[in-house]
Amino acid sequence: MLTNLEEHDAIVRAPDVIASVRDLKIHFRGKRGMVHAVDGISFDIRDGETLGLVGETGCGKSVTARAFLRLVQTPPGVYAGGSITFRPRRVCDDCSGVGCRECDGTGRVAAHCPACGGKGCRTCGGTGEETVDLLSIPDAQMRALRGNRIAMIFQDPGKALNPGLTVRDQISEVFLQHRTAEILAAAGVSPNDVLLRRQASQKSRAFEKMLLAVPPLRSGRNRVDAALDTMVADALAQTQIPNPRKVMDRYPHELSGGMRQRVMIAQALACNPDLLIADEPTTALDVTVQARILELIRELQQRHKTAVLYISHDLSLVRRVCDRVMVMYAGRVAETATSQQLFRRPTHPYTRGLLGALPGRGAHRGRLAAIDGTVPELVDPPAACRFVGRCPDEVAACSRTDPPMVEIEPEHAAACFVHAPPGKAAATRPVRTP
Amino acid sequence: MQIRDYILRRLMVLPLLIIGTSIIVFVLTRVGGSPIGIYLSHEMGPEQVQQIRERFHLDDPLPVQYFYWAQGVLSGDFGWSGVSAAPVTAVFPSKLAATMELAIASGIVAVVLGIWMGTVAGARRNKWPDHVIRVVSIAGASLPLFWFAIVLLIVFWVHLGWFPIGRSDPVIFDSIAHPTGFYTIDALIALSPRAFWDAIWHLILPAIALGYGATAIVARMMRSSLVEELQEDYVEAARAKGLPERLVLKRHARRNALIPTVTVIGLTFGFLLQGTVVAEIIFRWPGLGRWMADAVLRGDQATIMAYVMFASILFLFVNLVVDVVYAYLDRRVVLGE
Ligand SMILES: Nc1ncnc2c1ncn2[C@@H]1O[C@H](COP(=O)(O)OP(=O)(O)OP(=O)(O)O)[C@@H](O)[C@H]1O
Ligand code: SF4
Ligand SMILES: [Mg+2]
Ligand SMILES: [Zn+2]
Ligand SMILES: [Zn+2]
Repeated sequence: MLTNLEEHDAIVRAPDVIASVRDLKIHFRGKRGMVHAVDGISFDIRDGETLGLVGETGCGKSVTARAFLRLVQTPPGVYAGGSITFRPRRVCDDCSGVGCRECDGTGRVAAHCPACGGKGCRTCGGTGEETVDLLSIPDAQMRALRGNRIAMIFQDPGKALNPGLTVRDQISEVFLQHRTAEILAAAGVSPNDVLLRRQASQKSRAFEKMLLAVPPLRSGRNRVDAALDTMVADALAQTQIPNPRKVMDRYPHELSGGMRQRVMIAQALACNPDLLIADEPTTALDVTVQARILELIRELQQRHKTAVLYISHDLSLVRRVCDRVMVMYAGRVAETATSQQLFRRPTHPYTRGLLGALPGRGAHRGRLAAIDGTVPELVDPPAACRFVGRCPDEVAACSRTDPPMVEIEPEHAAACFVHAPPGKAAATRPVRTP
Repeated sequence: MQIRDYILRRLMVLPLLIIGTSIIVFVLTRVGGSPIGIYLSHEMGPEQVQQIRERFHLDDPLPVQYFYWAQGVLSGDFGWSGVSAAPVTAVFPSKLAATMELAIASGIVAVVLGIWMGTVAGARRNKWPDHVIRVVSIAGASLPLFWFAIVLLIVFWVHLGWFPIGRSDPVIFDSIAHPTGFYTIDALIALSPRAFWDAIWHLILPAIALGYGATAIVARMMRSSLVEELQEDYVEAARAKGLPERLVLKRHARRNALIPTVTVIGLTFGFLLQGTVVAEIIFRWPGLGRWMADAVLRGDQATIMAYVMFASILFLFVNLVVDVVYAYLDRRVVLGE
């Protein structure tokens, strides 16, 4: 699967990294030229961690998030370079996903490298585990990962749920798409029953549905439906929705915002994904509900040891929820650090500006509005620090070349000529995972 | 409100609307001229004319005349159709069946073809299928029906001879019974494949001619609402779940795109009924439209009134059905508001 071994050695060597982005570039064809929405970013997501992604509006957070699911619309988007390597897991054989000692309670175990079947070969760098490049695998393989190994929670659950389908219909789809074998097993149906297998993978055409509605075949269909209902109810119960069986029959507009987001979460976590992408999951909710939803995500994340890419405007939330934080500015990474480091010792002037905008320091409600100026035009940007023009500490070098990511202390790196000068640190200690 | 209660309430208002319509139409036709011409002949003298005036209450004030007309209608008497030389009620059912068969056939063409074309065009926006469909539907929406009908007639009947005109082959018509007046259904009841194909064969040209404009309207509406739905977040969320594009389109986007389209389909049915007049005249289809056209030309007011009453009741009914279907498709619609 792995195409260019040298570029991906980070993920291959580090067994705790589950996704690894290298020099990712996503551009949009605009009227006035190429918009470099994401312009060469690199970072890793480690197994089970919550990585926060912050930055002002328009700096490329959502585009980065969508790239993991390869959902950036092309056109107008262009995947202009780089890679996202991902190490998908599979359901644990010993506990079939419930969680046991073999799988450390996660219900997931490493998937074997298809080239060597787990023995270790050149393709997998000797680890025996499957690694895929999300930007180059075929569409069918990508679809098999979406909603299954990588899931997404959207900002506004009122818009991201289909108004015309019940909660049951919408959550069932995830199981039907990715858990056909389990549905059939739970229904006590032989996997060789073609008609029911097609039903349990939503492949049935109109005439098959009609066939399944007549008496001798109907009982099988009803068993499949009942098994599916149980799975949907269990998924909903996980998110502490009271009375899941009743909620299942509701349409999204009949639920409150908080309930809808719980439904979204239930849907996203239905298949116990390895990576959950949460793009501002609480921004559209009432303040009172926000905290509860956040706790819920945190709790489920810890129980299943799911890795989370948590996107937010709100630095105070990020501080509470995330293990590590990555600050993005104008399509570039400005700084990466553990949460503690970032708040204790912010290095990049942009990060400092953001922190200055935190509540209690004269700005409104954690929004990142206190830095003067706006994100620059991303149309065909020149080689220079993107923060030039807004930066208080600017020097001549800033407008000549891009500042490289430089490690300041372990786990903490920034891209700034003044505050993370490339000379010293980088020369003596090569940058590990930024 | 429950859908059932809503339907009941709408049905209760229906009679008032119908009475109102009948008054307006009655007054308008009478204002247009006296209906007496249809009953006269050259041999009649002044006394006989006066007799007829009295027999049909033509000298009474308009409200009284309306009262007599309404009384007749309530007892099942719509008057004498001059153009058919028979009571209106005796001729009406077979004409109605002819028109409905044509309107339904073109309605099916419009709905099936229109939704299909709109879906393909919307899903492949700005690709070649979209461009082809756009040209086809712009033509459909802008070509006048009579022109398109005559072109079809000249090409497929006069030159190629592939399709017949009229409603059926007389020999085949006589070979089976006609309990419903819908020739396709009659043929099915009689289990006669020959009669069935004959009925379909005669339907094709007029149904295409009549349905083309409606197809274009449905297709354009479907395309634009599908394009809009495809931009919605829930479509991306459906993709993020791993659904194949086929299901994203069918189960998610198309379903919601159908909601505004259904409204258009309802309006289109009124449009189709209007068109039957032209289509029936050109293709010699013995339906209500042609009957009505004859009646207008000859001042046959009993026939005109019968036709207008039918058309308005049908229109009200179609509107009701559209509202109910709309409410069913879109659970967010609160009925009665
Ligand atoms: N579909 C698109 N077409 C054209 N340009 C786009 C598209 N999507 C994103 N962009 C460009 O990419 C840039 C980054 O967008 P993105 O949505 O990732 O920002 P963000 O960081 O998520 O902002 P926000 O906090 O507002 O969600 C935008 O400024 C925009 O110019
Ligand atoms: S590189 Fe220069 S302009 Fe960029 S953040 Fe550092 S000091 Fe400011
Ligand atoms: Mg965003
Ligand atoms: Zn296990
Ligand atoms: Zn291998």
